[in-house]
Amino acid sequence: MEKTEIILQTDGSFVERLVSERTLNVGQGVLDTLTENVTRPIRNVFHIPDWGFVHANAGLNDTLWSVPIGRIPLHARFKLVNQVMVPMFASGTDIEIPLVWKVPTEVKVVFAVLTKQEDGIVSVEGNWLFACDVDKRGYRLPLPNLHDDCRICTGAFDGDQETAFECVKASLEQFGKSKWNADLMRTSEQSKQFFRFKPTKDSFETLPIQSDNWTMLCEKVGSALIERVIV
Amino acid sequence: MKTITVKYGVDEITKQVEADFTFGDLQGSDTFKAALGFGDNTKALVDGIEQNRDTVIPANATVRIETAANTKA
Repeated sequence: MEKTEIILQTDGSFVERLVSERTLNVGQGVLDTLTENVTRPIRNVFHIPDWGFVHANAGLNDTLWSVPIGRIPLHARFKLVNQVMVPMFASGTDIEIPLVWKVPTEVKVVFAVLTKQEDGIVSVEGNWLFACDVDKRGYRLPLPNLHDDCRICTGAFDGDQETAFECVKASLEQFGKSKWNADLMRTSEQSKQFFRFKPTKDSFETLPIQSDNWTMLCEKVGSALIERVIV
Repeated sequence: MKTITVKYGVDEITKQVEADFTFGDLQGSDTFKAALGFGDNTKALVDGIEQNRDTVIPANATVRIETAANTKA
């Protein structure tokens, strides 16, 4: 379609403008480029037994899966200090116990799995562990085996699966059975204030974090990935 | 002087800085670190593109600071 516009300019002159319009046959490639950084959150995509619902943030090239978790398995060495069990990640002599830390209500902990799909195989690109406050600020927990951006040093496991469900399940299984050692450890004093247990007759009870403001024991984290996390 | 906006996670601050203020100056600035809570291991991005530390930040730019991934110690 073509149309002609006559424009009267402020200096009194007339200008003729010819406007030509046609519908472009936009290919998928153009659309993909325009939407490259667009992601879409989808809640409650599936449920992993013992862990809970999994939310997705789907991008063009990858999907970030968020699993809000209520516990962190801590297979590590512990020591009794003033009747309180505290982690001794760097120790080679203290007792090794698989304790489970129950996440207190004021902390939102999200286990995240990034997957990509290619040739019918869904691959785990990495696992992250984020702590979030009520305003969705992200924090790195005072744990070893966590990189600065909260990526978990998981150790090797089979991250190539047929479905995203299996990828998340395999990642959580690895997370659940991995031992926490001193790799990437920088915050041992904060760990002892954060992860505390009281021995009871039959087991160990998670004690409150020894701080009025738990975020003071963590490092604040900002990244494109954490912005895709669904708490 | 020029004005820049710096974002880190959900927090942001708009501040006046010297005309020759670089991305490296920003990443090392105790003022911005204290205000936004970022540490030493960061990268600076503008429109999603990582910036060189020596580059002068354009006036009125919005800079996103991100925690950089580290390598295993």
